[in-house]
Amino acid sequence: MVMALNLQVNLGGLIMPNPVTDASGTFAAGREYADFVDVSRMGAVTTKGVSLHGWEGNDSPRIAETPSGMLNSIGLQNPGVAHLCEVDLPWIKSQGVPAIVNVSGHSLEEYVQVIEALEEDGTADAYEINISCPNVDAGGLTFGTHVPSVTAVVSACREVAKRPMIVKLSPNVTDIAEIARAAEAAGADAISLINTLLGMAIDANSRRPKLARVVGGLSGPAVKPVALRMVWQCYQAVDVPILGMGGIMTGEDAVEFMLAGATAVAVGTANFTNPHAENDVLDGIIEYCERQGVEDVNELIGGLQC
Amino acid sequence: MCDRFASKHFDEKARVLANEQMGPRLYKITLAAPKMAQAIEPGQFVHMQLTGMEAHILRRPFSVYRADREAGFIEIIYQVVGEGTSFMTSYEPGVECALIGAMGHGWQEREGKSLIVGGGVGAAPLFLFAEKLAAEGRPFEVVLGAQTESMLVTRADYAALLGRDPVLATDDGSVGHAGFCTEPVREQLATGEYATVYCCGPEPLMRAVAALADEAGVDCFVSMEKRMACGVGACLSCVVETSAGKKRSCVDGPVFDAKDVVW
Repeated sequence: MVMALNLQVNLGGLIMPNPVTDASGTFAAGREYADFVDVSRMGAVTTKGVSLHGWEGNDSPRIAETPSGMLNSIGLQNPGVAHLCEVDLPWIKSQGVPAIVNVSGHSLEEYVQVIEALEEDGTADAYEINISCPNVDAGGLTFGTHVPSVTAVVSACREVAKRPMIVKLSPNVTDIAEIARAAEAAGADAISLINTLLGMAIDANSRRPKLARVVGGLSGPAVKPVALRMVWQCYQAVDVPILGMGGIMTGEDAVEFMLAGATAVAVGTANFTNPHAENDVLDGIIEYCERQGVEDVNELIGGLQC
Repeated sequence: MCDRFASKHFDEKARVLANEQMGPRLYKITLAAPKMAQAIEPGQFVHMQLTGMEAHILRRPFSVYRADREAGFIEIIYQVVGEGTSFMTSYEPGVECALIGAMGHGWQEREGKSLIVGGGVGAAPLFLFAEKLAAEGRPFEVVLGAQTESMLVTRADYAALLGRDPVLATDDGSVGHAGFCTEPVREQLATGEYATVYCCGPEPLMRAVAALADEAGVDCFVSMEKRMACGVGACLSCVVETSAGKKRSCVDGPVFDAKDVVW
């Protein structure tokens, strides 16, 4: 007799029917992928980062392929929170899956206003606070790379957020555990990591950068070892659950993240290589569990033996 | 306005039937892809994964040159510009490549005489459209430009449609007008016969042709190529500046009305 496999996980109060969501910015709000992915089989849909009134994003070229990865400097182009509430959230809900809204801001105020707008709308199931945005009030310094600004932005969001709040950490720091602890202390219900690693690419022939903005965020299989290491470090540093991501291409990659301490996983750049990736990763996790005799996917969390 | 979700995208595992060099750095790959051959519209593209290059994680967008619905194959003309296209030249018949398609909004035929302008490898994405115009008995002329005669690899196929050579321009003067194809385009537009210009090629050429069309009071459509990741409208990598803000070349284009493009 085949045992029923429990796939449900609890990500800081967000009940996900299975551990697989998309990494913000790689999947829009899901609809663009609906010809390839059965979105109703996802653990949640995580939206593209949303700001208050929308952002134009950066100049082109915005991406560059690099060995086993890619750089992007999209610049969080988005039409603003009102559009998200009007168009995207109803579609996600029509698929019967939780909606995690990725919240972005250029100031503490903007983060707060976005969450207030989402609370008023009431459709979102959880927030993922992107603290990798530049803080305009602090001369463009990234919120997520200093403990005091992490504390400030997470606390401000916590005051208005009535739903589970995941804080998405930047890996571009000296000590990720310190940042994770700051986020937890300021009220995060969960943390997600890693966001992209800062990098750059140069065209030697033209002697020009491959990105208009010169630097951008590295993602894809190239970053997986760094991401696994950081998830493992954070798992030991905090008690809140972790949404792990960074170069997940297969179910086995996802299992590795869970063994390192992730409760749920996000599939990002893999969507570009394989438009079925969201479903394929879930199928791969199920197959792994069946092969290994795992009856509850929660058994995998932090199951690394070392 | 078109509903960008109206057409279904799908996958197809395509098998290489032939892969031959056509000219300097120019190749034609023929792929057995019966579903894609049925679905593809002129100016649309396929997004192809490069088999054997797993460390190159992004797919490559290729406009379809020709499609044979009965025989179930498509042809793509590609220019070797980087590691991906360089590796593609090694594909032997039998190699399988994953495609998604049919992507994007292509060329739309309009009343009146059409002027088709293809610069370099940009001549390829216009051929299906010229074939359609010919089949429908609509009047059109073709101007092709390239660096040199041996790079005019679509010349014979266009000539077969027209029953004579297209209007030609080469940078080195080896055949046709010596110089860019903008001069022949100017001469054509001066006849006052044209209702619409359809142009694909390097961006400076499209910009120049769009300006000539504008001066002549003729509508102009261009196919914008930008670095692309997802191909389905999600990642916002391939945006084109337009008067209505940034638009995605993969799903809002690749064909745009030139008067909307902010060059």
